[in-house]
Amino acid sequence: MSGFKVNRRDFLRVLGWGGASTALVGCDMPTTVTLEEGKEDVVAYFMPEEYVIPGVGVWYASTCTQCAAGCGIHGRVREGRALKLEGNPESVINRGKTCMMGQAGVQAHYNPDRLTQPLMREGGALKPASWEVALKKIAEKTASANGDRVAWLSGAVSGHQAVLINDVLNTFGSKQHFVHETIHASVWQAVARDMLGDAQPVLRMDKAKSILSFGADFLGTWQSPVHFATQYAKFRSGKRGVLIQVEPKMSLTGGSADAWVAVRPGTEGILALGIAQNLVKRGWAKGEVPAKLKEVLAKYELGMVANATGVAGDRIQRITAALKDHAPSLVLAGAPVEGGENGYDAVSAVMLLNILLGNIGQTIEPAAQFAEARMQARSGGTRGALEFSKLAAAKKLDVAFISHANPVYHAPGFMKMKDAMANVGFKVVMTQFPDETAMQADVVLPLYSAIEDWGTHVAAYNGGVATLSFQQPLMEPLYKDTRGFGDVALSLLKQRKPKEYAAFNDYYAYLKASVSNMPAAVAKGDKNKDAAWNALLQKGVLETKATVGKFKVNTATVAAVADVSADVQFPYRLLPSARLGLWDGRHANSPWLQESPDQISKVVWGSWVEMHPVTAAKLGVKSGDYVRVTSAQGSLEAQAYVFNGIHPEAIAVPLGQGHQEYGRYAKGLGVNPYAILNPVIEKKTGEVAAYATRVSVTKLDKSARLVHMGSSDTQMGRKLVSTIPATVYRRTEGEA
Amino acid sequence: MFYKHVCKLVLPPVLMFVSLLLISGAPARAELAVPPGVTPPVGTHAGEDVPQPIEFPHDIHVNINKINCMYCHTYARRSKVAGIPPTSKCMGCHKMIATDKPRIQKLTEYFTKKESPKWKKVHDVPDFVHFSHERHIKKFVFDADLPVENVEQVCGLCHGEIKAMTVAKKNKPLTMGFCRRCHEANGGPGDCWKCHK
Repeated sequence: MSGFKVNRRDFLRVLGWGGASTALVGCDMPTTVTLEEGKEDVVAYFMPEEYVIPGVGVWYASTCTQCAAGCGIHGRVREGRALKLEGNPESVINRGKTCMMGQAGVQAHYNPDRLTQPLMREGGALKPASWEVALKKIAEKTASANGDRVAWLSGAVSGHQAVLINDVLNTFGSKQHFVHETIHASVWQAVARDMLGDAQPVLRMDKAKSILSFGADFLGTWQSPVHFATQYAKFRSGKRGVLIQVEPKMSLTGGSADAWVAVRPGTEGILALGIAQNLVKRGWAKGEVPAKLKEVLAKYELGMVANATGVAGDRIQRITAALKDHAPSLVLAGAPVEGGENGYDAVSAVMLLNILLGNIGQTIEPAAQFAEARMQARSGGTRGALEFSKLAAAKKLDVAFISHANPVYHAPGFMKMKDAMANVGFKVVMTQFPDETAMQADVVLPLYSAIEDWGTHVAAYNGGVATLSFQQPLMEPLYKDTRGFGDVALSLLKQRKPKEYAAFNDYYAYLKASVSNMPAAVAKGDKNKDAAWNALLQKGVLETKATVGKFKVNTATVAAVADVSADVQFPYRLLPSARLGLWDGRHANSPWLQESPDQISKVVWGSWVEMHPVTAAKLGVKSGDYVRVTSAQGSLEAQAYVFNGIHPEAIAVPLGQGHQEYGRYAKGLGVNPYAILNPVIEKKTGEVAAYATRVSVTKLDKSARLVHMGSSDTQMGRKLVSTIPATVYRRTEGEA
Repeated sequence: MFYKHVCKLVLPPVLMFVSLLLISGAPARAELAVPPGVTPPVGTHAGEDVPQPIEFPHDIHVNINKINCMYCHTYARRSKVAGIPPTSKCMGCHKMIATDKPRIQKLTEYFTKKESPKWKKVHDVPDFVHFSHERHIKKFVFDADLPVENVEQVCGLCHGEIKAMTVAKKNKPLTMGFCRRCHEANGGPGDCWKCHK
């Protein structure tokens, strides 16, 4: 290149002129562009259905099960194979949109590491078995079990699957159904229940003019991300709403905010009370402020709050003013707040802001719950696994059924789930993959993928419209020795109550009968059953009657929020951050999602330790250096990623990796921060305080290039996007 | 029409010559016509012999029995792929016709077993090329008002003279240059993403 300089612009210009002719020179090279003849099979249909045209896709409606949000999907099927998933416009949850996890649903289906036949433990090892033998074994082992010595641990579940689990447990006389989800909003739900009288209020972002979000990553991982993303689009269109995100580590939502405020981890509740105090003091609070509340707020003066949270007093005043000026507002709390040891109090402080700002009834509306209680969503949290592990460890369980959950991986290390499960007499695991929990089972039953199975789903967060969303197979099962979850549950029921369930050959028959006979209180049952059923499947969703609640506002539960204690030995707070993509780790076996970069750090295929430049300088660490993160429970090692979007007192290690099993793509990759969580429990809800672990960091004598997309976090002076400092903006444009 | 006319004129003087050709085994046929107003793509390819599970005689079906290409490759006008006819379609005729022939007996065997023969693909383009039969049939047949009975002329632009073969053989290169030359000569789209999407 010496002496002949071609810059990018010139290169493109030359290509533009000459490209059309020069590019064609190589186009006749048969060795590179033609294919071999007669090497590939092309099999014709034997006797095709009339509507089948090879090469032309047919779209079927179904429901996504990649997370618990319950989005409606359309699946494109061509030549008998499901090829592409998109959103179902009929679904009120996602209105025709999907997220990356939904798109990757086909990879959960075509994953080469799926279990293809039942496994049974023989002489300590899991060995292939037939369904008949496996089910017979289950019948034998469960014949004498009864009462609460039988338990079922599942992931979030709803619809007829929830009914079947309940029915199976009923045959034993057990009430022990535990629902475990690592990413949950159960503290938010508990606070909403106590302060508003409604656990799942509808959040109308589309009506709000400002949103103050305390770590609620509603565009990424909070409750129903696709639903909130469509709401958020409305919030930002027209007169653009203002989004202020307060959190210790930048989330996807934080990256989209107008103002991102780093807060000392664990003190979000104190900041919320500081804003509340500021609202009351400036006379901006709507409605009567009870004396007891004033008493609580009294000590949250700006100076004290600024000192505790690390957010300057004038900034707190600006946030308060922004909420008042851009009314109605909406104030949310997410994982970092819910996951604190003071989680309930902190979220209560956040909810109080909604009450003081007059958002109740404006941007927060009563929920419309699905009328049939048995089919309502059980969205779960970490308490389920905690209770299950305690029962198991105390040898109080003879039989455990585990479905759509992987507690051995997902439960925090301190629960010692693997050891606890060893004390359960007989463990049946129903799963699609050879995951960590399946490896501990006595019998493993391989399930259909979501694309092969039947089901009905009721979303925990439905955006104010109660619907039943149908899941139907998009294609024939890939493996003949796998079965649908509903079919397995029916087999278990038939073992116990053969007469009651004799009428149902399979889960399809059960669903069809059950949906057609739904009471009018839930949905008007059309008596022309076949036509109505086909129309339902075509549409994918059934709008149902809903029970709409009424708010009962109560601020009596608002209390002082305890400050987080400092610790010399463990100076940092560990943030086990989640992201849309790998989620809680269930999607670590999807290559598409592994190679989709983390939205903030852009790291692919691995774990990292995120820290602030100030922290990094103190430790003498730069991006790519290996560090050891140690808590009282243990330690882990990963490469550092130095980034401004995190509080200097926080260390973030993302969730999702560190699988010991779970197939070729997930196994042995990265680390799992849940392995070193301290056993801190949020007292009022019983949930694991996942963001309350303190850690120390030491630099290791090893460094490598951190694999992430994009080489630089700055624009390198190219002015791709013009920016001015906030101080200059304020001077020229006034307060905003 | 043109060819019939030519045949009438030249037939008597060359009758002797043609008879000689017949005796020597060369097929009695006219060169495949080009659809009116179309500049055919330039390029040839010496295709390999591709053994098929059943030696399907295109010549008998098209040349002798005058069956239209789109009678069997019925998806060509509806889809990106032309489609191999379903086995049931073959049997629609061959339940009755030529049942004594070994090829048909083999076909009947497949049909009784409810299986389709595993044909070998002869014409293909790489996965990064989006080629649609439907678009080409629309442009060269339906939009051009070409009589449908002459569709073989359009098929022949890329597939050559199939009616002269038993099992199909690739005799056009189907390279990007081959496609581009035809697109340029006949006003096809030139954007990269039209084919590479």
